[in-house]
Amino acid sequence: MKKIVSLLLILVMAAAMFTGCGKETYELALVTDLGTINDKSFNQGAWEGLKQYADENKITYKYYQPAAADTASYVDTIGLAITGGAKVVVCPGYKFEPAVYECQTKYPDVKFVLLDGTPHTEDYTVYEIKDNVYSIFYAEQQAGFLAGYAAVKDGMTKLGFMGGMAVPAVKRFGYGFAQGAEQAAKELGLAAGSIELKYHYTGAFVADPAIETMSSAWYQSGTEVIFGCGGAVGNSVMAAAEKDGMKVIGVDVDQSSESTTVITSAMKMLSISVYDALTDYYAGTFPGGQSVTLDVTVDGVGLPMDSSKFTTFTQADYDAAYANLVNGTYAPVNDSAADEVTGLTLEYVTVDFIE
Amino acid sequence: MNTVYFLVQQTMLFTIPLLIVALGGMFSERSGVVNIALEGIMTMGAFTSILFVKFTEGFMSGQLQLLLAIIVAGATGMLFSMLHAFASINMKADQTISGTALNMFAPAFAIFVARQVQANHVQQIDFENTFRIVKVPGLSSIPFIGKLFFSNVYLTTYIGFAILIISAFVLYKTRFGLRLRACGEHPQAADSLGINVYKIRYSGVMISGMLGGIGGLVFILPISTNFNATVSGYGFLALAVLIFGQWKPARILTAALFFGFMNTIAAAYSGIPFLASMHIPSYFYKMVPYIATLIVLTFTSKKSQAPKASGIPYDKGMR
Repeated sequence: MKKIVSLLLILVMAAAMFTGCGKETYELALVTDLGTINDKSFNQGAWEGLKQYADENKITYKYYQPAAADTASYVDTIGLAITGGAKVVVCPGYKFEPAVYECQTKYPDVKFVLLDGTPHTEDYTVYEIKDNVYSIFYAEQQAGFLAGYAAVKDGMTKLGFMGGMAVPAVKRFGYGFAQGAEQAAKELGLAAGSIELKYHYTGAFVADPAIETMSSAWYQSGTEVIFGCGGAVGNSVMAAAEKDGMKVIGVDVDQSSESTTVITSAMKMLSISVYDALTDYYAGTFPGGQSVTLDVTVDGVGLPMDSSKFTTFTQADYDAAYANLVNGTYAPVNDSAADEVTGLTLEYVTVDFIE
Repeated sequence: MNTVYFLVQQTMLFTIPLLIVALGGMFSERSGVVNIALEGIMTMGAFTSILFVKFTEGFMSGQLQLLLAIIVAGATGMLFSMLHAFASINMKADQTISGTALNMFAPAFAIFVARQVQANHVQQIDFENTFRIVKVPGLSSIPFIGKLFFSNVYLTTYIGFAILIISAFVLYKTRFGLRLRACGEHPQAADSLGINVYKIRYSGVMISGMLGGIGGLVFILPISTNFNATVSGYGFLALAVLIFGQWKPARILTAALFFGFMNTIAAAYSGIPFLASMHIPSYFYKMVPYIATLIVLTFTSKKSQAPKASGIPYDKGMR
């Protein structure tokens, strides 16, 4: 009797498993980089774009979380998504570069959207992008430019830039920040050298009392706002700003929810880029096989004006500056222009580069 | 003058956690157990207590919440350190390996649990800092001293100094302290006089766990708006402070102040006109404490005050 019962149970469970797998498929998939879709960063930005497009067009969608943060796991999870019926897989972050490199040949019929990266082998020796991959970079110098421009237009003259590691993306943010301040100072007719910019790379992306102390020292010496550019580095800047009642500029995504001291954020518009890529896919014009840098001309970067806390810098000012970036009147250079920020030609901004 | 106040206030951010954790290390090592798990213990203490702060936000704030958080941190650290105690005292495992295991376990555990228990499933735990005391009522109006020690402080600064005084007292003036030191120097002799070496060593490790856990909370509170499963290597720095301080409370304080002050200068000099005008790169200031440690070790290594039996599992059969 017992045997029969257990056999029946096994059969029921097996049947349940098969029905569970079912015929349900999901056309659009997002594979997260170990974090979840609410990480206030890359995953969330990409997910919001995907969700919005799918909801508007009644397309099935799902996100998959890899078991570990390594290429093998990413490849497996992408495979899982494709078995689940995915036609487009969105991969947020440079960590997916080798995984996408592998999958682009493995799954030639599936399209991949790779944010902030381009496919290459794990050892960086071979770079190759197939027709089914759309690789997206961002013009960070324009995001930084808008932040610096807005800060100076808002009446601030003493700025700080606290970068994480001096990697290209962080440098582009910093260079743009300096050039934006320069442009605004010029338009306001300030004297040459009247904008003070303290500039430092902490060398890591972690919170540290040294960063809190440095930020606090800057604030005490008159710095009005610090651009905290590098993950948890920003949180240490915020801690100092909360103490001294000062201001912070956030990075990558809208960080206004993390601290009341955040007046604006130099954002990459992840959701818009995912949304646009999906629109192209369903219109039959998937821009595969290329690596693009999204900039202001396609709303790739910007400031979240809705949550920004400027005193005099208005939406109209922002729109004007944005238009000038789009039409090329403002053309901030990126990290290839100079090895160090001190190499930029700045007339109104005095850069105090702190090693 | 304001610069002096500022430097002293900032120095405390470095010094107090280093002091508390190094004192913790002292209790463990003087009982004969090397504790390089301090980094992991700090991480665990900070993790549970920050989680506590986050979950009690809204119906609790300020100093009471901080005190309770300190208790949570201390209890966590104590519990966590018992793993190290069990491995190195009962199992006679290599104490370095056991410590390293805890160091590797702590951040992974913190990330995993933070993701499980938080509503938004992220590894960072946001917290609201309601703990800074802008002015201690009454005391802050004392000229000079008031601004130096009673403005812009955390309750934890005073707790840190209290721990220092209690530690020195316990170590040198109580029966327990004497026994603890005996177990770290010559456990066989201590045992022959009827002292339970295992018990004493357990106490030593557990005290170090408690202080390590508290140190983790004290470290993270003033310097960030969230906890991201790391204390940035300050547990290891505390070990350096412990060695520089030659396993003695007063010297540990000196070492912690020295490390803290040099780190503060290195971080803050760019905002201080007098120091900024000298154009000495921050690397120089950052190097000084370590070079000093090396020099001190070179000159004192012959008569190093390290507890003689530290790191050696106690084996009754060796008597």
